[in-house]
Amino acid sequence: MRNRWYLLMMAPGFILLALFLYIPLFMGVVMAFQNYNMFNLTDLHFIGLENFTAIITDKTIDFWQILINTAVWLFFSLLFQFVLGFGLALLLKKPFAGRSIYSGFVFYAWALSGFAIGLVWSWLFNGQVGLFNDILMKLHLIDSPVGFLSNPKYAMVSVIITNIWYGVPFFGIMLLAALQSVPNELYEAAVLDGCGPVKQLFSVTIPYIKPTIISTILLRTMWIINFPDIIYAMTNGGPANSTNILATQMINKVYKQYDYGQGSAIGVIIMLLLLIYAVIYLKLTNANEDNI
Amino acid sequence: MKKLTSMLLVFALAASIVFAGGSGEAASSDSGKVKLTFFETMTSPARTQYIQEMIDRYEAENPNIEIELISPPYEQSDSKLTMTLNSNQPLDIIETRDYTLKQFVNNGWLRDLSGYIDSWEEKDNLLPLTLDAARTVDDIPYLMPQFFYVKALLVRTDILDKYGIEIPTNLDEFYAACKELTSKGNGQYGYALRGKSNIFKIFDVLIAGNVGNINPENFYESNDGKFWLDSEAGRKALAEYVDLYKNGCPPDSINWGYNEQINGFVSGITPFLIQDPDVFSAFEGQLDPSQYTVVPIPVGTSGYRYLEYGFNGPSIPVSSEHPDEAWDFIEFMLSPEEGAAFCKMYGPLPVHESVYNDDPYFSSGNYTAWSEEFNSPETIFAMYPLDDPKYPGWAQLHETTLQALLLGESTVDETIEIWADYWGY
Repeated sequence: MRNRWYLLMMAPGFILLALFLYIPLFMGVVMAFQNYNMFNLTDLHFIGLENFTAIITDKTIDFWQILINTAVWLFFSLLFQFVLGFGLALLLKKPFAGRSIYSGFVFYAWALSGFAIGLVWSWLFNGQVGLFNDILMKLHLIDSPVGFLSNPKYAMVSVIITNIWYGVPFFGIMLLAALQSVPNELYEAAVLDGCGPVKQLFSVTIPYIKPTIISTILLRTMWIINFPDIIYAMTNGGPANSTNILATQMINKVYKQYDYGQGSAIGVIIMLLLLIYAVIYLKLTNANEDNI
Repeated sequence: MKKLTSMLLVFALAASIVFAGGSGEAASSDSGKVKLTFFETMTSPARTQYIQEMIDRYEAENPNIEIELISPPYEQSDSKLTMTLNSNQPLDIIETRDYTLKQFVNNGWLRDLSGYIDSWEEKDNLLPLTLDAARTVDDIPYLMPQFFYVKALLVRTDILDKYGIEIPTNLDEFYAACKELTSKGNGQYGYALRGKSNIFKIFDVLIAGNVGNINPENFYESNDGKFWLDSEAGRKALAEYVDLYKNGCPPDSINWGYNEQINGFVSGITPFLIQDPDVFSAFEGQLDPSQYTVVPIPVGTSGYRYLEYGFNGPSIPVSSEHPDEAWDFIEFMLSPEEGAAFCKMYGPLPVHESVYNDDPYFSSGNYTAWSEEFNSPETIFAMYPLDDPKYPGWAQLHETTLQALLLGESTVDETIEIWADYWGY
């Protein structure tokens, strides 16, 4: 009897989840196997894996290039966001005058829209009137303006730098909260044992906040892969496909080409990649119910 | 993102259920008024406000009609309209665009407006282009064009005067002027090239005039049914375009969209710009009208300029329960007076012949260039293959491959081969 009540109490939550998460998710996956194109919805039918093969074998919008771009975008964004965010959290851990105001300014970037950030940074990186070119020219580091967003060599670096700027505060906020929970007694004991600051960091701080590190990295990975805003605003995936990632290509398929079938297929690919990543990542980090 | 998209679908469904309840209730409201629903797609705060004022004027003249205006944010408006139409929710007037027209017709969502147009007293006062545009799909008018978007060449005369360069009258002179300006150095370039976001519409008018023999029914086909770029003249024209980028445009322009183009023109870095007439509002407060002029797109070696015309206008969906009342409002909205006033506020070109003859606003000043384009025997208007299922994917393929060509990652021949393959030639 108690069990039945338990189920009844859970029902509203489950129904809401099903309505707003599982059913749409299921519909999206189904769509990936249909010729669901807004251009002609009267001929809706299952086409097996055709959407997937069309995306993977596209000769001009090279899928493998998009996959490599996604990996580069993810790896470098995540690495620098984490390292700089961790550094920021360590710096902000020690009290100083005006710390809370300073923290507010630093964390403000996280509250901004990715698209707006992309628009602002695209002007900063502009090859004609951009601030970065102006500074580099005045410092005599370059003779002529650099096409940060127009040269495929620099375009990916530029969008990644923007993404790093955007994502550092997230790690800063999360890791600072975790750092503040580390008991001072541990550091005192470590000092008594003769640990220097570096040893304290690796033997006390990092092990203690490991669960937060694991979960924030996992979360951020998912968000970065699914985050087309900055690239969309800055380069639209160009020049010549050099910054096109899975998420921007999905936007192109759905909103520009009205091909919801192929757009959903890219969504399914992203979902599978993230699933594989999450399983391997959690295994490698030995995450279990105790530490995550 | 996947989840987000799916959730949006459900939200749209939920929203449409709410809409259904609302309109059903209103249609049978005790006041006895007929309630119409108008779905705006090219939304902006100022435009929405203007349409609402127009609705207020109409309602004052027609007290038995009440019009509800739905204006979603611009970026989502097309997909929201598609979802609403797909769920058969009753809408009475919708704004259809040239590139959504075929899709809506394919899905059986639009009414044939022939009967209404034939008995409309303004029918003979429309530009010939207006009815052609209305009959884009299957030769049946599924929309009534309200605005045209046609390209012209904007020139910063103050910059040209500074360097003693004449306004070009043909494409060769245009290319030469861009290169001469660029050769002056000091950050001076010629043409505000657009490198991303629907570049083909601007690219094509710069290429086509030097090739010629283009089928007005399909911008990508020659009159003898071939892909016209796949010819000696086509290859030469494309090579000239690459040369224009390398020697007449800022290198950074390969990543320029609309805003960067405008910035290049306003700042004077690139004193040539090809745009639609709705660009003027972007200059307000930044450029004095004496600093620039507008001229027709220069003719090419073929002796012609080939222009495409973008358009949009109201349609009546099959789901409408009050099509006659909906058309009555469309007649009001598309009267020469209301149409001209809307164009003045918003920038595009009106669809009535009389407006160009009677209203000095559209027959003088900057609009003279468009008037000349419409009346010149050197102008040939060509339609994009809007009814081809490949059309929606063309913008991305064209942008990516053209960028690769401009960057030297591919050759003119390879690029033309990819394009010809795409269109099935």
